[in-house]
Amino acid sequence: MKEQESIAASKVKRSMRFVKTGAQVGGNFIKYYSKKIVDPSTSRDELDKDNAEDIYNALSSLKGSALKVAQMLSMDKSILPKAYADQFSLSLNSAPPLSGPLIVRTFNRSFGKQISEIFDSFDMKASHAASIGQVHKAKIGDKELAVKIQYPGVADSISSDLKLVKPFALRLLGMSEAELAIYLKEVEAKLIEETDYELELRQGQEISTACAHLDHIEFPAYYPEYSNDKVLVMDWIEGMALKDWLKTDPSQAERNKIGQALWDFYNYQQHELKLVHADPHPGNFLVTKDGQLGVLDFGCVKQIPEDFYHAFFGLVNPQIKNDKDKAMALFRELQMILPNDTPAQVEFFFNLYTDMIDLFARPYRESQFDFGDPGFIQALYAYGEKASKTPELKQARGVKHFIYVNRTNFGLYNILHDIGAEVKTDRYSPSMLETA
Amino acid sequence: MASKKIKKQDIQSAYIDYVLTEGKEPSSVYAFAKANKMTEGDFYDHFSSFEAIEIGIWAHGIDTAIEQIKKQEVWNEYSARERILSFFYTYFEVLRNNRSFIKYSMKACGPMPPGKTPARLKPVKDTFLAFCTDVLGEGLESGELTDRKGLNRRYKDVLWLEFLFVLDFWIKDNSKGFEKTDEAIEKGVNVIFDFIGRNPIDSLVEYGKFLFQNASK
Repeated sequence: MKEQESIAASKVKRSMRFVKTGAQVGGNFIKYYSKKIVDPSTSRDELDKDNAEDIYNALSSLKGSALKVAQMLSMDKSILPKAYADQFSLSLNSAPPLSGPLIVRTFNRSFGKQISEIFDSFDMKASHAASIGQVHKAKIGDKELAVKIQYPGVADSISSDLKLVKPFALRLLGMSEAELAIYLKEVEAKLIEETDYELELRQGQEISTACAHLDHIEFPAYYPEYSNDKVLVMDWIEGMALKDWLKTDPSQAERNKIGQALWDFYNYQQHELKLVHADPHPGNFLVTKDGQLGVLDFGCVKQIPEDFYHAFFGLVNPQIKNDKDKAMALFRELQMILPNDTPAQVEFFFNLYTDMIDLFARPYRESQFDFGDPGFIQALYAYGEKASKTPELKQARGVKHFIYVNRTNFGLYNILHDIGAEVKTDRYSPSMLETA
Repeated sequence: MASKKIKKQDIQSAYIDYVLTEGKEPSSVYAFAKANKMTEGDFYDHFSSFEAIEIGIWAHGIDTAIEQIKKQEVWNEYSARERILSFFYTYFEVLRNNRSFIKYSMKACGPMPPGKTPARLKPVKDTFLAFCTDVLGEGLESGELTDRKGLNRRYKDVLWLEFLFVLDFWIKDNSKGFEKTDEAIEKGVNVIFDFIGRNPIDSLVEYGKFLFQNASK
């Protein structure tokens, strides 16, 4: 009896923690709205910034998967206003570090050895924090290694963290809970995969082997003998974070080279491997001393199902413009137009989605594309802004695979724009273009 | 039988085996000795009671943990905060090997009224407090911790409360690899050290003193 009681008590304690955070968050929203009422002149930008800061504070104290979702939201700048995005990008380097003793313990438990028995040197101070772990620099002989260690309890807390993020997501996307559910399931499954470093190691090895022949790109080697589900050891790639590299004002030729490497990397994966590194966050890339693109972090890899691939990239085919029936069939297959839609709705969504596909496909429709052109990215933002204000879109449309495929491609477009690169886009293009 | 030397460890493991299988302590030393083919005399050579066996196991656990952490190369580089953290992680790693027994023994202790330490945990508490006194003393010397005169003696008591809390948490922890206990240790010890290190309250007290001495002039 006694034991039963105590278990119940600890459950209550646990949910209290979440209730508390939930209450704070709810309070935040009340604060924002009341601010708006009191001072209607408060600029939207400023208000958004306040919101983002508070949400970010709540999320970063949670660490782990909630942080990851924040990053994912910040990725999709077309959904989030700019101030949110800026604040969320901060979440990359924010989580408090693990203590030295916990790291020592993790190694003892995982490998039955002291850190000093495995590595010749090991920097106890984390070189940087990732969302679900932190990275340390170590050495074996002359070889420099990056050792990624996962925060304890991350895998366990994903589902409860997602429940916490749900109110934000509902508000930000303006969807109903039931409609959001299929997307959140997809996200949850991917997040759980990301906590398995053994899987990341296999994915990293698989993709880097398959992409080894691409130009100007460098992958770290992985060390399975020192890795397990919570510890991942790979080569330390010396280089500059993409953001810092851009501050050095690289020449247009260099920008194009890095941009091209990035384009080839992603499009080779999408169109040849049908398996894609679905985390095109600037923090996952480096520019090495020799001016190569270094790719880190294969935690999030999306397998693109064949039928989705054909339907989605079928829309990219320029011929589709003259074949409304075929386009309509593809929209229906992708559940962007639903069986119960009225003729007026069908017409409305057809036009809306055709505009989107037009934008999305623009880089594919020429052999060379300048991502530095502000017109393109502004058109993307403007579309996102318009979409977020279209009440008809406040319901779930599109199959779940859109989440990661969109995130990947819009993320890629964003980075290429930040780099200001002009790239040859016809090297690895959708196979649909050739069969057309 | 009597000619064969009965070892301390044999009695310990026979006892652990008995309580974990039966869920209670043997009905008498006599019955226990008989079942294990020894005399009561053999038993009393090493232990005065069943409780003494449990005390010995608890004491051995904490001694092992402290010995292990002091052997680690990084020990000398650790701050006081890290030394305490290191103790907690290592101690609960040591306890893992005897988790069922620890659960049994804690249950046998019965409910723990605040401020009272059950006999089984006495030597653990003594060793733990002595360990903390050493570590905290060095922390005060190095300036990592703030000297608050009379309060200094209380620091280790707060850590003992954390110890009891984590022990209880660990016993109830169902998470994989007891990850939640790791979090409880990391967060709990950090909070304590954030408070006993220099913190805003110190500044507030100093400011209050200043105002008291000067503002009325």
